[in-house]
Amino acid sequence: MTATSPKASAASPSASALTPVFVRLKLSLLRNGLRQSGGRRAAYITSAVLVLLFAALQLLGLILLHGTEHAATLAVLVVALMAVGWTVMPLFFPSGDETLDPTRLVMLPLRPQPLVGALLVASLVGIGPLFTLCLIVGSAIAVARGTGAALTAVAAVPLALLVCLALARAVAAANTRLLTSRKGRDLAVLSGLVIAVGIQFVNFGAQRLGSSGGLSALDPAANVVRWLPPASAIGAVASVGEGAYGRAAVQLLLSAGALGLLLYAWQRSLVKLMTTPDGSTLAASDASRKESTGKGLAALLPEGRTGTVMLRTLRYAWRDPKTKAAWITSLAIGLIVPVFNALQGNGTVYFACFATGMLGVQMYNQFGQDTSAFWMVLQTISSTRDAYLELRARALALLLVTLPYTLLVAAVTAGMLGDWAKLPEVIGLALSLLGAMLATGSVASATLAYSIPQDSRKNVAPGQGGIAALSIFGGMVSGAVLCAPMIALAIWLHVSGHHGSLWLLLPLGAAYGALLCWAGLKVAAPRTAARLPEILTAVSSG
Amino acid sequence: MPDQAFEGTADTAGGARTAPPAVRVQGLWKRFGEQIAVAGIDLELPAGKFIGLVGPNGAGKTTTLSMVTGLLRPDQGTVEVAGHDVWRDPVAVKSRIGVLPEGLRLFERLSGRELLGYSGRLRGLPGAEVDKRAAQLLDVLDLAGSQHKLVVDYSTGMRKKIGLAAALLHNPEVLFLDEPFEGVDPVSAQTIRGVLERYTASGATVVFSSHVMELVESLCDWVAVMAAGRIRAQGTLAEVRGGATSLQNAFLELVGAGGRSAGDSLDWLGGGTR
Repeated sequence: MTATSPKASAASPSASALTPVFVRLKLSLLRNGLRQSGGRRAAYITSAVLVLLFAALQLLGLILLHGTEHAATLAVLVVALMAVGWTVMPLFFPSGDETLDPTRLVMLPLRPQPLVGALLVASLVGIGPLFTLCLIVGSAIAVARGTGAALTAVAAVPLALLVCLALARAVAAANTRLLTSRKGRDLAVLSGLVIAVGIQFVNFGAQRLGSSGGLSALDPAANVVRWLPPASAIGAVASVGEGAYGRAAVQLLLSAGALGLLLYAWQRSLVKLMTTPDGSTLAASDASRKESTGKGLAALLPEGRTGTVMLRTLRYAWRDPKTKAAWITSLAIGLIVPVFNALQGNGTVYFACFATGMLGVQMYNQFGQDTSAFWMVLQTISSTRDAYLELRARALALLLVTLPYTLLVAAVTAGMLGDWAKLPEVIGLALSLLGAMLATGSVASATLAYSIPQDSRKNVAPGQGGIAALSIFGGMVSGAVLCAPMIALAIWLHVSGHHGSLWLLLPLGAAYGALLCWAGLKVAAPRTAARLPEILTAVSSG
Repeated sequence: MPDQAFEGTADTAGGARTAPPAVRVQGLWKRFGEQIAVAGIDLELPAGKFIGLVGPNGAGKTTTLSMVTGLLRPDQGTVEVAGHDVWRDPVAVKSRIGVLPEGLRLFERLSGRELLGYSGRLRGLPGAEVDKRAAQLLDVLDLAGSQHKLVVDYSTGMRKKIGLAAALLHNPEVLFLDEPFEGVDPVSAQTIRGVLERYTASGATVVFSSHVMELVESLCDWVAVMAAGRIRAQGTLAEVRGGATSLQNAFLELVGAGGRSAGDSLDWLGGGTR
């Protein structure tokens, strides 16, 4: 017991009494979370079924690997990957498990050691641990050869699972300060972005791996990883199968030692958390924030509502985690898709329009991005003219980023493919697409506003999914329809052999895009002005 | 209880215009599904007064203030501010009112100073004037030290103060504040109070909602009591208080919540045994 623990009182329960309480607490939290809405229940059950199906397939796959050449390589890497997942997860999903937040238990008379034990057992409840268990069992089966190995696996599997969970818990407890502060929550919101962009790289990497010799490329990595807990527990199973009992013992001990260390670290941060002042009182210490990010550049914006709204929109794109995540995702994926396709040799310059489309989506649900702070805008819009200026300024702020970016992506893609001749027509098409997206986006903002919850990772408030889908997909379809004349013109010029006139698409596309955008704003402005309270209600439920 | 008329309530027909009331509400209704939030209220709030709208939680105060300030569309009824219809003449009304709503966000990723700059410029004030007024308001409201901090990092009291500054920036005729003292520390409350008193002394009107009777009693000249979506009484403080010893007691009588006590049901509470 640590020195900081309070004087033993008769009421302090032991681990064996505490564990069932925490397991029941975890189950109640799960159940009550599901009770909140039918949609949530359906989503949970669907995802549970999918995850378990996936786990079962993985399990089957790993069992089939049994006895093959690369089984050990793959098995230790799978377990290591799970461990990485568990380490990172609490940083990205801080609200995912309420029992993760020990500050909620601070008023209860609990000793650290029983608490840690009970929390560890409670964290075994859930889909995540079950999924992990499936994979670890699969990995163990894949590498287990002989009775000795099977017996080792009986110890190694729970050990590996506990190390994974203890990792998550230790990381979460060590970072509770950060995770409950505003900065931490901002970070969590940005994590979706890491995942979105990460998937692109994984996808690219997997294609590379597929083309270069397969799994044997992973052997060197596996040789290191099988010494690292918790993968070393599975490594031990493989070692026993190969008759290397000494190595197996060391590997098993490494995992067990890691578990002990993690539990010790977790217990220490728990004690520290519960006996020192709360982070929220210390958090806001960045008072030294310097005067706005560029008074010089801001001065270039026009006076009046236009400049004011543009500046606010651009500041939000940088400072608001939700908006920032949306922007960076759009910018990154808008560049990655055409560039990676070009790298793989199956790209075309036309893919540059993808970047435009991704960025144009930012115009949708403009007022939802304001959250309920939209009331401040509402209070200053008293005519159609005000509404027009407001929407136009937001479109202009988007253009300030989108326009140069479109040109850049088009030029980079054309450069990589060496297809400069197509550049003018691609830019023309992209500009007309941009105009169409801004037009439909502003109309959708006025008529189909929905809330973006700020504190969760969701982008749509419960119950408004239909509106959001209608807004974005309806908008994209009508955007494409609006662009149809330009696309038809481009196709006609190609088919009829007027290649010399293709450059005409550049000025025509720019003019057509501008016209669409202007018309869209004109349609959206009176609707915005007439529906202000309705928009406020729609965007305030997050 | 006096649900009375007072002198100079309305434009006299055809004659010389007496000052219109700051706010006139007639037959205002709002339903949310099954629930009736505001059940046909009539209100006439005199100009130049410090007016308290009091009532228990869920009485419909926020809903009423939202409809009066154009944030929520009423199902039925009319609202006039300084003689202009809120829903038919928004240009005239929106420039004349300042609002500090409860439960709605601010643009929290702006610093306090940026928020004021944004708000003032949106209202069409010249940039230099906005900056001058913002600096003075930040100073008076004790926010000068945190003017460059993001509003998201502000405490509740600081948020209320920056919200108040944004509401005052364009020098409105009528100021609507929903629970301006809720969750505010005593020092900030005193600051807010000082600013509001100075503001009403110049002839402007403050309408604020609260469920803290002592506060309303010490601040307001004029009170409207709301419960279950209806106005139970309105008039000067003395009129509403009537024969009761305090506004608190008068209020409890009005909403029919007086004399409820725990009785014997908590007889185990206190004493030596556990």
